[in-house]
Amino acid sequence: MTPIVEVAGVTVRFGGLVALSDVSFAVRPGEIIGLIGPNGAGKTTLFSALVGLNRPDAGAIALDGQRIDGLRPHRIARLGMTKTFQNTALFPAMTLLDNVVTAAAVRLPLGAARALARDCLEKVGLGAAADTDIDDLTFPQKALGEVARSLATAPKVLLLDEVMAALTPNEMDAVVATLRELRDREGITLVIVEHHMRAIMRISERILALNFGQLIASGTPAEVSRDPQVVTAYLGQPDASHA
Amino acid sequence: MMRSLLIIAAVACVALLLGAVLQPRGYAVRVVCLILLAASLGQCWNIVGGLANQVSLGHAAFFGIGAYTSTMLQIKFGLSPWAGLPIGMLFAALVSVLLSIPTMRLKGPYFSLATLAFGEACRIVATAATGLTGGPQGVSVPFAGNSWLLLQFRGAGAYVPVFVGLFVVVCVAFTLLANGRLGYMLRAIRENEDAAEVTGINTLGVRLAGGAISAALTAATGTMFAQFTFFIDPDIVFSATSISIRAALIAILGGVGTLAGPIVGALVIVPLEELLSAYLSNKAAGIAPLIFGLILIGIVVWRPSGLVSLVTQRRGRT
Ligand SMILES: Nc1ncnc2c1ncn2[C@@H]1O[C@H](COP(=O)(O)OP(=O)(O)OP(=O)(O)O)[C@@H](O)[C@H]1O
Ligand SMILES: [Mg+2]
Repeated sequence: MTPIVEVAGVTVRFGGLVALSDVSFAVRPGEIIGLIGPNGAGKTTLFSALVGLNRPDAGAIALDGQRIDGLRPHRIARLGMTKTFQNTALFPAMTLLDNVVTAAAVRLPLGAARALARDCLEKVGLGAAADTDIDDLTFPQKALGEVARSLATAPKVLLLDEVMAALTPNEMDAVVATLRELRDREGITLVIVEHHMRAIMRISERILALNFGQLIASGTPAEVSRDPQVVTAYLGQPDASHA
Repeated sequence: MMRSLLIIAAVACVALLLGAVLQPRGYAVRVVCLILLAASLGQCWNIVGGLANQVSLGHAAFFGIGAYTSTMLQIKFGLSPWAGLPIGMLFAALVSVLLSIPTMRLKGPYFSLATLAFGEACRIVATAATGLTGGPQGVSVPFAGNSWLLLQFRGAGAYVPVFVGLFVVVCVAFTLLANGRLGYMLRAIRENEDAAEVTGINTLGVRLAGGAISAALTAATGTMFAQFTFFIDPDIVFSATSISIRAALIAILGGVGTLAGPIVGALVIVPLEELLSAYLSNKAAGIAPLIFGLILIGIVVWRPSGLVSLVTQRRGRT
């Protein structure tokens, strides 16, 4: 099966800092991928490169067989790939519902957009919070609100940047179930960044591990958690990155 | 939405009523006209300044383009201002799109400064291009007697229905934009540009569209202004202070991003201007604008979110 996302040799630099170095991997349609790595490993940078918020200095990215690196984010979103923001970036002067309506209204008339937006909020369990101002939401609610807003763009590939941070274990289980349902029912391919190991190991079918901008491991959760490079990266041993 | 349309209808009715009962050649009805023009100008600005939060200080460029396009077409080719009006609007929209190429990526104060400079550049060009604009001494709209066809009347009274029409068009445009899809997108861009892009919003395109609509409507207001004053020169219609900054001020004073904002702003600013220039200008020249400025600063400091916030304490749309 052709990969839905194909990343080939992507490098992103910020001045002298190499945030991503020659990263290559492929994602199959409908897969649930976990992306792990210590703080500053380059996970968010990779997501930003995938959705077009920063342009790779080298390499190629394809979505559904079509080259997308260099396209502006709204084009990539309309082609079916979008992400949530790690520190949440809901539009603060709007209600939660209007946030989601905005995303839906890009391709739908307002009436249909409202209906879809309510639907998306229900899916993430935020139906009751629809008319709440963003400032009055808790952090986990904001993160899920971002998921709902992303869903309103009708994504094929959804990149989730720490949407389960600050959740209790029970809440986390609920979100894991929700995400799995999204994949099962709607076939949305998920790439999930999460620091919480229990959750990421449970939900992911395959795990990619980044460290200092390099892909150091890829495999099943069991394989990756046994990988010596991953172990040293997380234990923070010196020269773990200079393999 | 319904409330907004009701506000527009109510203001329009009051203005029409005043136009009908006030002495048609009198001073009071002239002030009504000035308020309608000011409210329209502020509302045009509000489309980009309020919905997209792009604080343009160059709207005089579009105002002047509107005023000069219709006036020069009438002088040189005898074209009715009704025909010059859409041509000026189109021209202004085009200029706004071209202006967007260099200014689009500028943020906050940099955008404001760039637009301010552009407005000034237009004033200088209009002053220098004597063949096109008549140069610094200005041009007069030739008066051929009261005529709806030529959109010119003796006395201010007859202009009231025309300016009410302009006011209604501009305000309804704002309302439809604010409550429609484009309004959602403009607000999203204002709130967080990256998040807007990632949700599929073409931030450049949406801004371009909003800017062009705002510019076109501003040009229409400029045409109406020229028909009303019968005389324009580059320093008047391309003025940074009395057009560009005033447009922003009217909206900011009343309440940026709200329909009622520019209406309230115009209702405060125009009478204030008139009062101060009537009572102070002959006593101490130069002190009127100073006091005017101080009052405005006072209001903005007292009510940063505009006078409208006195009534609507809640955040939200009008
Ligand atoms: N816009 C930027 N300009 C300069 N440096 C940046 C920028 N964004 C990220 N970086 C740097 O790139 C590296 C990778 O950052 P990134 O945010 O991708 O890490 P991350 O894996 O998402 O970390 P975390 O788990 O803390 O979210 C870090 O060293 C970071 O400081
Ligand atoms: Mg991150």
